[in-house]
Amino acid sequence: MNKVNLILLIGLYLICANSKAQNLLIEAESFINKGGWVVDPQFVEQMGSPYLMAHGMGIPVTNASTRIAFNEKGMYHVWARTKNWVPGNWDAPGQFKIIVNGKALKKTLGVTTGWSWEYAGKVKIKSNDVDIQLSDLTGFNGRCDALYFSTSKKIPSDAETNLDAWRKAKLGETIAPKEQKAYDLVITGGGLAGCAAAIAAAEQGLKVALIHDRPVLGGNASEEIRVHTLGIYGKYERILKMIDTKHYPNGSFEARYDQEKRDRNVKSFKNIDLFLDWRAYDAVAHNNTIKHVDARHTATGERIRFTAPRFVDSTGDGWIGFWAGAEFSYGRESASTYGEAWDEWGELWSPEEADNFVMGSSVLWQNEKTNEVHAFPQLPWASSIAKDHKAIAGEWYWEFSRNDLHQIHDAEEIRDHMLRAIFGSFSNAKKLEENKNYKLQWVSYLVGKRESRRLIGDYIYTFNDVKTHTKFKDAVVEEVREVDVHYQRNLKDSKEPDFLSEAIFYETEKYYIPYRSLYSKNIDNLFMAGRNFSCSHIGLGGPRVMLTTGQMGAAVGLAAAICNKHNATPREVYTMHLEEYLDLIEKQQ
Amino acid sequence: MYKSLAFIALFFIVMGFRNQKKRDYNPMFFNMTNELKDIAKDEPVFKFEVKSLDTAYSAQINHDVRLLSNSNGEPRVFFSDIETSVCADGECKLANIKVYWNLLGNYVGYGIHPELPLTKYEHDTFEREDYAKLHQLLLDENSILKRRKITDLIDKIPVSPSNIDSKDLDGISGATKKEIKESVVKGGLYSCYTLWHIVHGEAKEKIKTYLQSINTPALNTYFLYAPYRDYQIYALKQLNKAEFKEHSKQIASIFQSTDALTRTYVLKKIPEDVLSEQRTTSQFYDVFPHIDINSRTLLIKKLKDANSTAVEIVSKHVGYMTKNQLSMYLKYLEETYESLNGGVKYNLIKASNSKRYAYSYLIKEYLKNR
Repeated sequence: MNKVNLILLIGLYLICANSKAQNLLIEAESFINKGGWVVDPQFVEQMGSPYLMAHGMGIPVTNASTRIAFNEKGMYHVWARTKNWVPGNWDAPGQFKIIVNGKALKKTLGVTTGWSWEYAGKVKIKSNDVDIQLSDLTGFNGRCDALYFSTSKKIPSDAETNLDAWRKAKLGETIAPKEQKAYDLVITGGGLAGCAAAIAAAEQGLKVALIHDRPVLGGNASEEIRVHTLGIYGKYERILKMIDTKHYPNGSFEARYDQEKRDRNVKSFKNIDLFLDWRAYDAVAHNNTIKHVDARHTATGERIRFTAPRFVDSTGDGWIGFWAGAEFSYGRESASTYGEAWDEWGELWSPEEADNFVMGSSVLWQNEKTNEVHAFPQLPWASSIAKDHKAIAGEWYWEFSRNDLHQIHDAEEIRDHMLRAIFGSFSNAKKLEENKNYKLQWVSYLVGKRESRRLIGDYIYTFNDVKTHTKFKDAVVEEVREVDVHYQRNLKDSKEPDFLSEAIFYETEKYYIPYRSLYSKNIDNLFMAGRNFSCSHIGLGGPRVMLTTGQMGAAVGLAAAICNKHNATPREVYTMHLEEYLDLIEKQQ
Repeated sequence: MYKSLAFIALFFIVMGFRNQKKRDYNPMFFNMTNELKDIAKDEPVFKFEVKSLDTAYSAQINHDVRLLSNSNGEPRVFFSDIETSVCADGECKLANIKVYWNLLGNYVGYGIHPELPLTKYEHDTFEREDYAKLHQLLLDENSILKRRKITDLIDKIPVSPSNIDSKDLDGISGATKKEIKESVVKGGLYSCYTLWHIVHGEAKEKIKTYLQSINTPALNTYFLYAPYRDYQIYALKQLNKAEFKEHSKQIASIFQSTDALTRTYVLKKIPEDVLSEQRTTSQFYDVFPHIDINSRTLLIKKLKDANSTAVEIVSKHVGYMTKNQLSMYLKYLEETYESLNGGVKYNLIKASNSKRYAYSYLIKEYLKNR
């Protein structure tokens, strides 16, 4: 179904025939023409939907527009679900207006604290075919989740407290997606781990679905986040070289070349069905077995139910496992939980008492030096975070974690905090004569996460396995990279900005990760690969880089092939087919 | 024969005299306060090995680490007078430096022999600001030099006008290179590198081990009451519950003045029967607006252990809370207080009407729903 028809259908469908008031819900991300606005699906689980964001780095973006068929003409009141993303004693940074049939509605939007329905004004609809536009006023990340047109002046009810149900009712969604697709293996998350899993399984003849919520593959390595891949290839060099990056500085524009390579290579597999811009939103298990994963297109809202005998969770945040009821952990374990203390770094390494001081998320950014002067405004809403810090580009240590923030649930606040840090620091740097010709070339709007949920497998990988170089009989991933965990600099020095981190390194010889850390302990048909594999906080410190997580993906893809051949569970690959599995891995080189 | 014996005797007399000679403890930089003022005992306690970085002559020289104690016999500082070669491009020079470590093995300062100044590339001597920069570098236990080989650093340092022009460099990212350049003395990379690795090498590890052999409860009390953060957290880690109670006044004082790391440690460890004392609760919660955000989170989490007065103290400061902290606090009130006492309610109403507080609307909603 093409997008135009879908929008029209939604428009028609939503007219409530039995009520006196006519009302219409329009998801902003379903706008036909996004203009300069970007679709942000990162925080769906927290705020209910993807949204459109005017990420213009200070320059207002071009209008997003769409056409909607109205059943009834008349006077409509209009609301936008939006928020002032930096409430405070300053002008809201992300302001925009709604334009209907060429006429801007009265109220400026993006000015209220917290996601809510802001009243935009009223408009007389004189024809059935209505042109609607979002007009960005600031270029600083105004955001619009949805529009609501109603002939009643009553503000949408229960919007904050029960939005999901309200939305489903308005959109007329049934519980189950109508479209269903069956595969040998369904992989959710197209970072390095997911891509490697897809390639490895596809090469063994499995019919694979790879679901990824972005338009490009690679996750943290993608041109949208631009972290270079680190680690070694292990036994999967051939596979990983199809998707890795060169060792350019983090944030480099060169990420685009590796992006092209990665997308081209994954797309070249006929038995990988690639679902780009599809975000999984549910996984259901019966008797500890996942029956299906449901996903939604991030722009059109179309839904598909994916069924398979086995699933891979490479979402990074462990969403598939979480929804299916897999055991998981989050945070820093106490030093005594697994015996991971390191006196040299004490509490910064592994605390006596468990806590939430996990490694933070990064937002990378880059400048461009030009031959002319570029102005950049003073931004009080940004300088309240940046203070007097000056910078013209970011690096890995632009990172944010705080103990009242959860890296998944509060990811939007974390991302927004980083945006303020970036804009404020760049604004400070621009005051210097030497920086007058710099302009912002690129600022990511995606959170590059290091650590979130860790699904628990039959084996929990810890620091001790690094220290003792445990040679597991089911070792399927190997790494020589140091264990590297981060802490926020302001923990030791309150004068340091709260958005910069420091790394602690534990140098080591080669260490190994067992296959038993790559499938769920209690969900019988769930593999995991990537940062959500089964490990402790410190155990994650070494293998969290992307060639290592890519190795995990490849190992899991091959294990899925063994499962498929013997109709076995992931655990049975270890208990019954380990030799055959290890032989298959050896053949990959 | 007699001549030889006389020479040997003279040698031992001179050496003995050298060991008895009162040393000059006058470091150029020293990050402690009174620890060198009353040194009455200076004894060698172990040796450590300094390896030359010179690839042509891989010399290894043993140096004494000396423990300096005060007139009461209390250990105060470790010290070593070190001579090492600093090599660049096949040319080696000697560097002499007198290094001071605290009792935990953390670097605290250094001095030089005035007649033997430190040198940079092409024999230039260190300027005053170079010495200061070296001190700052040595204070950084997690310096960027820690994990680098000297061969990784050469040729890549001099050409770094900015971190964007470094795309061509393999292995070291632009920011890393910039960080190295900023942390070392200009033209003194080899000296800086060599000295950092000596100061943070074997000697430091041996001091940590040695401390175990001389540690006493009295020494731990000295650590707890000393104005140094590394001493304080070290001491706090040794305390049992009874000792925590015994020293609660000092611990509250540390809490008010220390960094976020130590504060969070104190809040995690403080026993309920200590925090629940009204005086202690007041000492901890009165500083709510003046401390870091992470510690505020823990203070809210600890309300259940604190004296009941804490709830009202915190209510005066809701305007300093993050959104999540406010949610935690309101949830705590919801679960524990059937009806809000007058003071708490008054403060919440006041905050709910504040135009300066971004989350006042959440307090309004909360009050409305009660």
